[in-house]
Amino acid sequence: MRYALFPGCVLRGAASEAFLATVKVTEALGIDLVEIPEWTCCGASHMQDVDELTSLAINARNLAIAESMGLPVMTVCNTCTLQLRRAKAALDSDPELKAKVNEILAAGGYEYKGTSEVTHLLWVLASNPGLLDGKVAQPLNGLKVAGYYGCHLLRPPTVMNYEDALNPRSLEKIIGLLGAQAVDFDYKLKCCGFHAFWTAEKDVMQVTGKTVDNAAKAGADLLVTPCPLCQMQLDMYQPEGREAANSKAELPILHLPQLIGLALGMKKEELGIQRHISAVDKIRF
Amino acid sequence: MAITLKIQRFLGEKKWEQEYRLEVETGMTVLGALIKIKETMDPTLTFTASCRSSICGACAVKVNDNAVLACETLLADLLKRYASDTLTIAPLGNFTVLRDLMVDWQPKYDRLKKIKPALQPKTEFSASEGCRQSKDEFKKYSKNSECILCGSCVSECNKSNLNSKDFLDPFIFSKAAKFVADSRDKDAVAHLEPAVKDGLWKCLNCQECAAKCPKGLSPAEDIEKMRIATFEKKMSSNEGSDHAMAFYDDVKELGRLDEAKLALKTEGLKSALRVPVAYRLMRSGKLNPLEQAKPIGDIEKVRAIMKAAKEKKL
Repeated sequence: MRYALFPGCVLRGAASEAFLATVKVTEALGIDLVEIPEWTCCGASHMQDVDELTSLAINARNLAIAESMGLPVMTVCNTCTLQLRRAKAALDSDPELKAKVNEILAAGGYEYKGTSEVTHLLWVLASNPGLLDGKVAQPLNGLKVAGYYGCHLLRPPTVMNYEDALNPRSLEKIIGLLGAQAVDFDYKLKCCGFHAFWTAEKDVMQVTGKTVDNAAKAGADLLVTPCPLCQMQLDMYQPEGREAANSKAELPILHLPQLIGLALGMKKEELGIQRHISAVDKIRF
Repeated sequence: MAITLKIQRFLGEKKWEQEYRLEVETGMTVLGALIKIKETMDPTLTFTASCRSSICGACAVKVNDNAVLACETLLADLLKRYASDTLTIAPLGNFTVLRDLMVDWQPKYDRLKKIKPALQPKTEFSASEGCRQSKDEFKKYSKNSECILCGSCVSECNKSNLNSKDFLDPFIFSKAAKFVADSRDKDAVAHLEPAVKDGLWKCLNCQECAAKCPKGLSPAEDIEKMRIATFEKKMSSNEGSDHAMAFYDDVKELGRLDEAKLALKTEGLKSALRVPVAYRLMRSGKLNPLEQAKPIGDIEKVRAIMKAAKEKKL
């Protein structure tokens, strides 16, 4: 199993521990990742607010490079997945637009064909649970885990159509395969607010605090998310979130590959968990 | 099969949940079940409905916390989706409830008026000549005409849930976007300005509205289109527009995001107030202000693409 990895800025920057954990875990599971050379930022769901066509073109370029590698694309970030899939959906459904974007790409010597699919680590594992067979050396028995999907892996459902956006089950499935118990909680499909941090900060801090509080009250020992942006929001700003939501809850917030890594028997230091801000000491592996 | 509907009731100041057990008939919709309860079990149950054809928008309710049009939603599909013989039905979120499942639309109409939801024809148009536009111009906003004002988009809107005072309802942004995109309208800014004033840049981009619209509209995309229009109309910048521009500029300059400078580019000197958080992030290795971001090797190709895209607008 081989994928062209689109790490995105966050995995090569503030959440580099997610990159580390992704590499270690995919190696252990026999998933071969080749980083897309010379990839650019996906626009992070902000760039299209300036210029839609430019945002489309730079993602078409990222996809065109992956196509030249002859590989499907895998990402570990919800927003990167959405941006790439959105570009692909637009280009594959509109031959005129595709021709127009290819004229633009020609300025850099690229051509978008539409041959590479775009997926996410969570989807790869949920579709291939056999990858975990015999690999869970340290089952997370007794651990109660709140699975927090993050918006952009589910919505808009016309583009992110891996599973039912209103009642997704993939994250619970993986949590269960790792030996842990998935905890249901009211905020599991809500938005962490990351993308409006600068414009609606008061609201964002409130929802950060409420999400962590809600998961803790549902009995979770930790929260796991397939999105590094949600992870950053819920982890880095937990102190402000607690204050805004008048909560005392403190929860470790893990990237999905970190939780998998723990179940595979890796130590938390190997997975970069010590780089997190909140409640790291509560991870007992 | 027999199912249980737990319906949220409300009268005056009293709020309670009431259970109704009924047989699901083939092809029965949520609205069909509500009508059956009202006609055979409880005439006091109050809800609104009219066309039964998904075009009037009167019957939207929440089922298991997700807004749907009651008249087009089959109970069989919901029972399968939630793998349960029990469903909860509640009035739309982010509305004032009048009674049971009936909500008050008047405050929403008052808010809708803010964005001037009517065509202001250009002066060259007349009653005798009409307001002509090309097919391509029509296509730019025709989808937005399909909004039926059902309120599903705002029911679970993550921003409205937190604070709706500084944020218009998603369908209001879609209405505004319709007139901004309509080539017959003489003043896009008249619709844009109130949208900016009431939260255009505060949308969380959660895409919840796009997931809930029964007509396939995307208020989230309409918000994006209006944000682009604010750049085109050279309207004043703010943290939201400066943040978006930071991504555009970084891709052009480096190919990737320069995280260390993002706060400064977004907030300007105000970002100095974020020193305590920055220190927290530096301590854990999440932020390195001294790191000098370098452009990717193929940056000239990326710049050539961006230049070509700018010259060939959508």
